[in-house]
Amino acid sequence: MKKVAQLFGTVSLAVAFVFGLTGCGSYNRLVTLDQNVNKKWADVQSVYQRRADLIPNLVNTVQGAANFEKSTLTEVVNARASVGQVKLDPSKAPTDAAQLQQFQQAQGQLSTALSRLLVVSENYPQLRATEAFQNLQAQLEGTENRISVERNNFNAAVQEYNTAMQRFPTNMLNKMFGFKERPFFTANAGSENAPTVNFGNFGTAPAVPVPPPSAAPATTPAATP
Amino acid sequence: MSNGRRTRSTRARRGVELLGALLFLFAVSLGSAAEVMPAKPAGYFNDYANVVSPADALRFNEQLAQFERETSNQVVVAVYRKMESDSDIADYTRRIAQAWGVGQADKRNGAALFVFIDDRKMFIQVGYGLEGVLPDITAFDITERHIKPLFRANDYTGGLAAGIDLMMKAIRGEYKGDGKTNLEKKANGNSGLGVLPILFIILFIYLATRRSRRRGWGYSGGGGPFIGGGWGGGGGGWGGGSSGGGFSGFGGGGGSFGGGGSGSSW
Repeated sequence: MKKVAQLFGTVSLAVAFVFGLTGCGSYNRLVTLDQNVNKKWADVQSVYQRRADLIPNLVNTVQGAANFEKSTLTEVVNARASVGQVKLDPSKAPTDAAQLQQFQQAQGQLSTALSRLLVVSENYPQLRATEAFQNLQAQLEGTENRISVERNNFNAAVQEYNTAMQRFPTNMLNKMFGFKERPFFTANAGSENAPTVNFGNFGTAPAVPVPPPSAAPATTPAATP
Repeated sequence: MSNGRRTRSTRARRGVELLGALLFLFAVSLGSAAEVMPAKPAGYFNDYANVVSPADALRFNEQLAQFERETSNQVVVAVYRKMESDSDIADYTRRIAQAWGVGQADKRNGAALFVFIDDRKMFIQVGYGLEGVLPDITAFDITERHIKPLFRANDYTGGLAAGIDLMMKAIRGEYKGDGKTNLEKKANGNSGLGVLPILFIILFIYLATRRSRRRGWGYSGGGGPFIGGGWGGGGGGWGGGSSGGGFSGFGGGGGSFGGGGSGSSW
């Protein structure tokens, strides 16, 4: 009887030890992945900021064109202003899906307004022929490309983090250390597919590859084993 | 009984769903199979469309290899007949440049000019580390105002020469090289490691033969000439490997690309 108890004690100690070890490893890994998500988030923020910074210049250039349609211009200015109002911590990725959704919506509106402005600019060949406008086009285009890259990178980082987090035995640490699932960028209907800030330099619009990383991103917790 | 039938029918339904999912995955994989990611090229200048004479191609290649030796920046040019992808050129060529690892991993100082002759499109991809010195405006200026007019006049060699020249000019001051390309570094590293085992083997044989000679086992006198031969052969090998006159190969350093750069169509 004593022997059995002793054996049981040893075995449970060994099990606890092993779990403790894997726990440490998983904890460290989660921290690393979490940092990575934050870093990618900062990259996303900086490319969006880069786009916002281009807008005053764009507005100035376009305003110079003879009787340029005012309403599209105002739309861009307003959209940029509302982007500025969605303040998210640039150093820490959001944990609240609604917050990210709000951010994405504001940026999406700016994308739409910008692409509309550029479509309208087709009617002003003189404007389009100026070097200043062409340069702005190239910059905006590059910025949209960067946005799509950084968004994808962010989504990949979030996916890696979320997957690691939901795995057994790591998932037991979540509550203990307050690890939370992170929301993704989603391709929402219309607005985000809009970065058609492709000015006819190339044949087709950039197919912004923002794949929904899973069918129902972030909100459905994976079945825990 | 009815219970059993229900589980069977749900099982059947699940089977159908699974089959559907598999079919969907298959369709998706077929869809993406339409894209061809070109293999990593052997050189810096790669004309797969045969629009440049071999002599010019070799000249461009050596120019770019020398540029890496001097600055550690990797500039790769790839000329294809057409784009084998449904993606946008910016997205497609970024993924290619990333896959090839153009640029050094730590400096991320790669740039790649992609030209698709039949599509009449080109794009300069700029690695993260060069976005400052080769911003989108500059990349656009190079393709739109310097390469494009020459391409329109069917002067591909002239256009590519201008493009290479301007790209190098833009990014020259940013980083310093150490006189070697990645491949040359790799080759040197290998031969450096390779010398040690050879020395050990020679030492071992020398000791073994010396000992055997002293103890009077069979090998009398055989060791000396053999060792001499080994040394001589090794020396010849090292000499041959150090510098080649011809083609300099490209070895990607693991640079990364974030969508910087610009392009034009002509």
